[in-house]
Amino acid sequence: MPDTVETETLRGLVLPDRVHRRLYTDSAIFELEMARIFGRCWLFLAHESQIALPGDFIRTRMGREDVIVTRARDGRIHGLVNRCTHRGSQICSVERGNAGGFACPYHAWTFGLDGALNSVPHRQSLPPAFDIKDPRLALAKVPRIESYRGFVFGSLAASGEGLRDFLGPMTDVIDNFVDRAPEGEIEQAGGIARQEYRGNWKLHHENANDTLHPGFVHESSVASARADQRDYAAPAYDGHQTHTQMLSNGFGLREWQGVGLTGYASGHTFMGGFYKAGVLAPDRDDPVWRDYRARLVARHGEEKTARVLGEDRFNNLLYPNVSLNAQYQQIRIVQPLAVDRTRVLAFCFRLKGAPDILFHRAVRFLTNLSSPASMILSDDIEIFERVQTGLSNPAPEWLDQSRGLATDRRGTDGRVQSAGVSELPHRAQYGAWLRYMTEAA
Amino acid sequence: MSVAAADLKAEAEAFLIEEGRLLDAGRFDDWLALFAEDGFYWVPAVPGQADPLNHLSIFYEDKSVLAMRIRRLSHPRAYSALPVPRTAHIVGNVTAGRPADADVDCECRSTLMVAENRGGDRRLWAGQQMHRLRRTEAGLRIVLKRVDLIDCDAAHGILSVPI
Repeated sequence: MPDTVETETLRGLVLPDRVHRRLYTDSAIFELEMARIFGRCWLFLAHESQIALPGDFIRTRMGREDVIVTRARDGRIHGLVNRCTHRGSQICSVERGNAGGFACPYHAWTFGLDGALNSVPHRQSLPPAFDIKDPRLALAKVPRIESYRGFVFGSLAASGEGLRDFLGPMTDVIDNFVDRAPEGEIEQAGGIARQEYRGNWKLHHENANDTLHPGFVHESSVASARADQRDYAAPAYDGHQTHTQMLSNGFGLREWQGVGLTGYASGHTFMGGFYKAGVLAPDRDDPVWRDYRARLVARHGEEKTARVLGEDRFNNLLYPNVSLNAQYQQIRIVQPLAVDRTRVLAFCFRLKGAPDILFHRAVRFLTNLSSPASMILSDDIEIFERVQTGLSNPAPEWLDQSRGLATDRRGTDGRVQSAGVSELPHRAQYGAWLRYMTEAA
Repeated sequence: MSVAAADLKAEAEAFLIEEGRLLDAGRFDDWLALFAEDGFYWVPAVPGQADPLNHLSIFYEDKSVLAMRIRRLSHPRAYSALPVPRTAHIVGNVTAGRPADADVDCECRSTLMVAENRGGDRRLWAGQQMHRLRRTEAGLRIVLKRVDLIDCDAAHGILSVPI
């Protein structure tokens, strides 16, 4: 296997209507993705509420890098590569916490929350030229960190477009997320779901806006929910919400056709909402929702509240590492581990000032959709693994993504839109993939 | 140990062994029938999790959700459960007592190990479990089964059957 892949070769692997199997199976291509996509794009790192206080830190991954996101004493946020500059040990082994800095367990080099080397033991045995302030001795830092309304992103590229330009029109998803909080702030709470699958990272993103698969992949959970004759008028717990979540994948093709799809040249894609019933419907009317809505009207007024709550979009992908669901307070982070191995983290948010039950529903949504025991996502994951296994066959070489190609509509702001049952999101994502992969370094 | 306490422990132990056998035999409907109508099945996502409403769980399912889960297992296109995993449960270190709550007659704690095989992939689940049981005319029924896995907060692959 070659160490790298020529740009001309890459161009031959992505066509408008198909992509080559090497995108999912070739580790040389995976390494290039880590350098050219995950090494350049703005990646979601953390929400500010996860590192609210000075000294707070949380770990994440940026492509190949194990990164500690910290809040320093002066309130600034830093991204530090989790590797001692002395003998290379990982310096932080817990997922999150609060600390004054980081001491390497091997020879006790200590680093500040900004990554600076603060002390080394037995200075007298080091040569006179050893300068503790030498930047090469500080922890490697994520060169650019920016926040948009509490969502912290980082880029491993020292220069390039700013976060706002990268997000483009997708800032409206983050706006909608935050605007749903009666006190104007959201906070991560309720834990982090972790799952791993034996498949390529891109399979997750293709599937998230694929409106043809639910009728097949999720047939068993839909059928199981349909067979449930229970009266959920007054649910003791929330069998009702689980029932609704499972049933919602049971749209017919005509209904899926009505769920719009949107994609951008940036690879960002999203679909319309499809939870239309019960406690998940955008226009629900139950006592909890009425209470919540009144609190939101007190902040925004009637007109803006109607607009905020009427925004019904699902799986808003900020290519390449994060997907947001504002109306259910959910976020999912995709971390490539190897060409055929991916980790998915998911968590939810509390809308400050909203009734507690709304948060309980967000937690329930998270458990239903992102736990390893999810009756919905587990079937998606099973399919990702079967695709990965299937693609280990050398032939045929190509994967078709032509559905809806003839009916894509190009809008004025660079968006491409389509009715529901289309592979438009695939084409948008792979268009961006090719651009990042072939752009000069 | 008094005779009554020894009897309660023996009864609880027999119940736990039978519960594991039902799961190992794939008799999920019979396993579900062991739950009280208001029963819950809970597998927390972090050690010592205090609360199932404010923190996500691996499983937190009332009887209606469990019934949907079990119905799904027999669907011909429940892909993540094709084939349904084969398991071997072993329960040990059983203790049983009478809690103060009026609606529960027995609270028993045990150590659980479950070997699971699906299509050649073998996994081992292990942890402590707690059963809160109510005595009914039909026998003991589960008000709460809580399984605290030793690796509950790790990244896992698919879990399609109850442990």
